[in-house]
Amino acid sequence: MAELLRTDSLTKTFRGLVANSEIDFSLDAGEIRCIIGPNGAGKTTFISMISGHQAPTAGAIWFKGRNITGLPVYRIARLGILRKFQTPTVFDNLTVYENTELAVLATPTPPRERYAKILRTLELVRLAEVVAQVVGTLSHGQRQWLEIGMLLARDAELVLLDEPTAGMTAEETHATGELVRRLVEELGLAAIIIEHDINFIRDLRAPVTVLHLGRILVEGSFAEISGDAQVRSVYLGDA
Amino acid sequence: MTAAGPAPPSLGRRLTSSEDGVAVLALALFALLPVVVSGYSIYILPQYMLHGVMAMSLALLWGRGGVLSFGQAGFYALGAYTMGLCYRWVPLVNPAYAGMLIAFAVGGLLAAVLGYFLFRAGVRSAYFVLVTLAVSIIAEQVAVSQSQITGGWNGMYIDRMSLTLGDAVNVSLFDDAPMYYFVLVVVVAVYACLRWLAHAKFGKVLVGIRENEDRVLSLGFDVSAYKTATFAIAGALSTFAGALYGTHAGFVAPSLGGVLFSTEVVVWVAIGGRSSLLGAFLAAIGVSFLSNYLSALIPAYWPLILGMLFLAVIIFFRGGVAGALARWTRQPATRSAGNG
Amino acid sequence: MSSTAISLVTDATLLTLTLALASLGLAVVFGLIGVINMGHGAMLTLGAYFMWASIRAGIPFAPAAVLAAAGVALIGLALEHFILRHFYDRPFDTLLITWGFFLVTTEIIKLVFGTSFRDVPSPLPEAFDLGFQRVPAYRAALAAFTLTLLLGIAFVFYRTNLGIKIRALVQNREMASLLGLNIAATYKLVFVSGSFLAGLAGALIAPMFSVHPYMGMDFLVRSFFVVIVGGIGQILGGTLVGSFLIGGAETFFAQFSTQTFAQTVVFALAIIVLRFRPEGLLTPRSGQ
Repeated sequence: MAELLRTDSLTKTFRGLVANSEIDFSLDAGEIRCIIGPNGAGKTTFISMISGHQAPTAGAIWFKGRNITGLPVYRIARLGILRKFQTPTVFDNLTVYENTELAVLATPTPPRERYAKILRTLELVRLAEVVAQVVGTLSHGQRQWLEIGMLLARDAELVLLDEPTAGMTAEETHATGELVRRLVEELGLAAIIIEHDINFIRDLRAPVTVLHLGRILVEGSFAEISGDAQVRSVYLGDA
Repeated sequence: MTAAGPAPPSLGRRLTSSEDGVAVLALALFALLPVVVSGYSIYILPQYMLHGVMAMSLALLWGRGGVLSFGQAGFYALGAYTMGLCYRWVPLVNPAYAGMLIAFAVGGLLAAVLGYFLFRAGVRSAYFVLVTLAVSIIAEQVAVSQSQITGGWNGMYIDRMSLTLGDAVNVSLFDDAPMYYFVLVVVVAVYACLRWLAHAKFGKVLVGIRENEDRVLSLGFDVSAYKTATFAIAGALSTFAGALYGTHAGFVAPSLGGVLFSTEVVVWVAIGGRSSLLGAFLAAIGVSFLSNYLSALIPAYWPLILGMLFLAVIIFFRGGVAGALARWTRQPATRSAGNG
Repeated sequence: MSSTAISLVTDATLLTLTLALASLGLAVVFGLIGVINMGHGAMLTLGAYFMWASIRAGIPFAPAAVLAAAGVALIGLALEHFILRHFYDRPFDTLLITWGFFLVTTEIIKLVFGTSFRDVPSPLPEAFDLGFQRVPAYRAALAAFTLTLLLGIAFVFYRTNLGIKIRALVQNREMASLLGLNIAATYKLVFVSGSFLAGLAGALIAPMFSVHPYMGMDFLVRSFFVVIVGGIGQILGGTLVGSFLIGGAETFFAQFSTQTFAQTVVFALAIIVLRFRPEGLLTPRSGQ
């Protein structure tokens, strides 16, 4: 499998505080990876550097063989790396259609094909019925799906999902898991998912990277991670 | 997929139907007015229409793009002075044509440079407002201090333009009606261009920037480039309008570019409806007319009333008149894009 | 030559502290609760007019200044309570509302007090004779007062419970409210304090300039640049540094041209500083 994303010794310090320390990370095309870790482990900082929202203090990021370290956010987005933020970052005052339209406008899709593409995307994320509704009136879960939908409409190759199921009901969480897996299988997306919901991660059956205090503690399958003593102690704070 | 047949209208199409209708109506009224009325109104209206162009440029910048500027009048004055200087210095060609062209180019260039300088560095919108405020102060000061060129506080006189085509055609626009129609044609052309721009991809991205800049950036749009381009367009248009104003009014003084007039433009656009090009345009004309009329009647009270009106609009009617009208004529499910 | 240099320094220092006094109210409000008070200049003007009215009514100088400041504080309270507090989450709206406040207030001032220039007599009309330069005693006294005021505010901020609460609020609003801090009351207090300071500045500056309805305008943009250059949130150090740079630059350039042209140059320079250090000179660069 082709390597899609790689970080070499990626480090980020904020005025003395080390958020990420020498992270060597690798992701293949079409792969899902979950990133877990206690609060303050540096998970969001890590994907912020990949998406370009934070500039690394040291180290490098490679995407499809190209060095993208320190590129501005919009350039990285154009390369196909798209990010879903921790709090849904959508256009609350616009309709579902208009939100997705903006994502499509960011692609070279010719005008007469845009409408079809928007509707296709909305069907994928189960929002086709609310196409004309103003986003601010949607449920929290629906807004998360909309944001994911926008990333798809934008022809993402790698999606960075920051806690996609935060605030969702159990049923919505399950649906999100299905959605992500289907997207990866059908569209060949790669995904890095920061999550706290154990069930969601287990259902995804994807490899897990555990971060702790800014470093990679251990990586492996869900079964391996959940049986790992180190991980247990980090989460449960064993003496 | 909803059972309802036609595509759910996007941002553009929903606004189009009713606003276009009103625009056509307004055009008809303006076109017929000189037939019915004559005298001062016909003389002064082109000036207000040019104010309206400045207002439309602010509506694009602020209403669509979310970038407030307290400095558009600075560009306006620059345009007027440019026209005056062209009449003084430009040989051979019709100075008015040179004035219009140079004004457009210089205004656009200055705005582009300032915009690039600031937006590329990520200067926040709130600070940008203060910069534009400083710009209008600077503009007024420059006009005063460079008195050898500008005439300082005494101002500058400008000839009334003529339409020429080589040596064959020479139509003087000295009389009210011909000038009126010339300005009307220009204004309609500007409106048409802006309306097209606002509903095209560019305009939609601008609205996105206004609504959630981070999201737009993270979708891959170069936000600062869009803001710079919009500011440049607004600057170019305001300067261009100012040039025509100059040759119409025949006179320009530093106060045209100053803070007080600059903020009046914001008041017009706020009242008319910042997201509506037509609303901003009509409000500029309406408020200017009202100002003219009432400040003769109740000179002490009119500015106060205008200030209170402005406050009321900001607090209660964020979408201005256009937004309020749009809200009352829409069904609740698909709200209008006219406000906010 | 050195006497010119010294007189330059004296001028710059006096201007710096005058600017600092004028900008303080804005720095407090902008820095602590993020409100861009475009009515700051109008509040300054109001303070000057209240001062004029109080002096005319026979009230002695110091109480008159406090009275004027209190009057402006009251108006600020009304503005905050009835209008502004509903818009804190929309910074652009607060900007426009306070601008509307400026428009309305200025017109009311014109109606009530008329448009002709007014004079507030200086309580210290003498001047210190430094040989090469005469320094008006009042300006020197005002400079000293401003320094004392800044120190006093520093004390409140860093040594009192109230100061700690306010700084907590600024750092982390959510956390502060969870800790039981009354957000609404704190915002009110900050805005009213800012208004008081603006009114006080207007009252104290009045003897130095002619009082007219637009006198605050001059200080509005300069105050904003003082605060931005110095750093938002750096209430004390930032205001001083910003005032020093803006005031100093103005004094310097005024040697070669008119006062107003010097102001123009300084604005242009401030815009350049803004572009390179948008968080201000004193604020440490963030990790971005």
